[in-house]
Amino acid sequence: MFDEVKKPLVSVRDLKMHFPIYAGLLRRRVGEVKAVDGVSFDVMEGETLGLVGESGCGKSTCGRAVLRLYDITSGSIQIDNREIGPTPQSQLRSMRPTMQMVFQDPQASLNPRMTVEDIIKEPLDEHTKGTDAEKREKVGELMDAVGLNRKFAKRYPHAFSGGQRQRIGIARALALNPKFIVCDEPIAALDVSIQAQVVNLLEDLQEQFGLTYLFISHDLSMVRHIATRVAVMYLGKIVELAPREALYADPLHPYTKALLSAVPEPDPSLARATERIILQGDVPSPSNPPKGCNFCTRCPSVMDICKDVEPDYREVRPGRFTACHLYNETTDAADATAGHEAEEHTT
Amino acid sequence: MPDGALPVLDVRDLKTVFRTRGGEVHAVNDVSFSLKPGELLGVVGESGSGKSVTMMSLLGLLPSPPADVRNGSVNFDGKDLLHVSPETLRSIRGGKIGFVFQDPMTSLNPVYTVGYQIAEPLRKHMGMNKRQAAVRSQELLELVGIPDAKQRLDDYPHQFSGGMRQRVMIAIALACDPKVLIADEPTTALDVTIQAQILELMKDLRDKLGMAVIWITHDLGVIAGIADRVMVMYGGQVVEHAPVHALFSDPQHPYTRALLKTIPTIQGERAARLTIIEGQPPIMTGPPIACPFRDRCDVAFDRCEVHNPLRYDLGDGHDVACFYDARTGGPRDV
Repeated sequence: MFDEVKKPLVSVRDLKMHFPIYAGLLRRRVGEVKAVDGVSFDVMEGETLGLVGESGCGKSTCGRAVLRLYDITSGSIQIDNREIGPTPQSQLRSMRPTMQMVFQDPQASLNPRMTVEDIIKEPLDEHTKGTDAEKREKVGELMDAVGLNRKFAKRYPHAFSGGQRQRIGIARALALNPKFIVCDEPIAALDVSIQAQVVNLLEDLQEQFGLTYLFISHDLSMVRHIATRVAVMYLGKIVELAPREALYADPLHPYTKALLSAVPEPDPSLARATERIILQGDVPSPSNPPKGCNFCTRCPSVMDICKDVEPDYREVRPGRFTACHLYNETTDAADATAGHEAEEHTT
Repeated sequence: MPDGALPVLDVRDLKTVFRTRGGEVHAVNDVSFSLKPGELLGVVGESGSGKSVTMMSLLGLLPSPPADVRNGSVNFDGKDLLHVSPETLRSIRGGKIGFVFQDPMTSLNPVYTVGYQIAEPLRKHMGMNKRQAAVRSQELLELVGIPDAKQRLDDYPHQFSGGMRQRVMIAIALACDPKVLIADEPTTALDVTIQAQILELMKDLRDKLGMAVIWITHDLGVIAGIADRVMVMYGGQVVEHAPVHALFSDPQHPYTRALLKTIPTIQGERAARLTIIEGQPPIMTGPPIACPFRDRCDVAFDRCEVHNPLRYDLGDGHDVACFYDARTGGPRDV
């Protein structure tokens, strides 16, 4: 795309977010939900990284963990050359202006008892100095930027439609001139004709303010539109990460293949001609993931080694990362022996 | 699609109004359609377009007040469903007409086992005893592809995953061999890989059981893969109705055309920028005396402001409610 070498704005290494499960009379810790289990990726400056996966795969948890809305279990997160992985919440506050979030449900993420002006002004009150008039002027500019009429500043969220509410949420996220915004399913709650409006707005703002997005969505066709690179998550792990065109034209991981083939194609002749890979069964529980590869219970091309050894997540082709034994040329020999061992165990 | 067969369900000029403090909301406005045996009719529209309310009105599922089914006829099995006793209607619902709702979590009762909930219509409508109903329930669970059906009959809804719960809902709807199955956004709450499973299952079941299906969705991709005919709704009205190939290859209504351009695809050319439909969906208070799409339409002209277009027949089962003729590029002769 561009010849200049882009540097990563966000670097996540081996991020883990495990939620404990307590049970019994003494509320002992009996296990943990491995919502995000060892995820590594970079988000380059000015790009949009799409993060896709089915519900429960940990994509939202991952997005929230990257912004340290949780106290993460382990791992390293660097945003703008600052390590925020182990930073206590009290010190994070001063770093919040660079990293913001747009939430999925605009109904739930806006306080119904605050006016639009107050909602957008709140981050300014918290993090900036200046007179009230200056802040109000800034709110007006933000409302212009996201396509809301300034006259509506004194109205409450209930007076707006879903798409407009999402614009309020976006204006609030923009208030502090962030560099990095996590968009957690920003269009999932909207109608088809409104989705396109919000996506176009996000693209315009990216260009205007030089923003970097982590765009979390389950809508693969929308991600194809907006993302520069795409990461596919399954059961707490990234199974594949690749540039957009490469991923959609030639998916490597069997899960990505199945996921793409399951997307309904809005063209009857194409839809009926494409060969679908119908996955059997459901996603296993993240509190008790299968041994070996997480996808081995549903994988159409499962091998013996997959049920035994967890595949490494590595760069198999330039710019293309995947975690699958099918692409492990180096371990062919190990594959055969592991396969024999697995057979011996089952007999 | 069997041609010439008598329709199993024939809806004419259905009109439903909600009385609210802010005035009357015209949620369904003169909707007509018919359904032939074994046919799959897709109904597409955004939220608030009246697609669910249409189906709920014809089954008498809307609380009145505030809802008022004001006009129309619904012919099913030689009866007009709008003018039968509540008892008769109750015997048809869940019996000859099955219904699958959008959210499988809220539409199953959490305190009864799945087996009990499948057996309920069998015992009510088919007069089966407990043992017969249990045998049939097991068959139904197997039919919808739930493994270990016998054991799972004793499980409660929370022990099933989302996709499995939707299969249970389909099993309940199929329990009494319905002639018509109405599925209201049955896969919207599900993930794409699970959605693909359910779509395959529905196609199979329709071929096996030969029932007619009405499939309500907002996802044109789902419609493209499954429907025989499609009805596009906007602002409580049917704006276009066509066989599925004709709708996608030759859309006539400006709304349908805009909608098809709006959605990005995972194949083919990637648009640099998404086409958008400007503006907001209509607010449906006040009588529908003008075209509901006029404010967002790029070909609207003066007639659209003062008259509401009828559905003009274009031949080959294709009709469109628009004063603008996309084929000639000018106003339609009416």
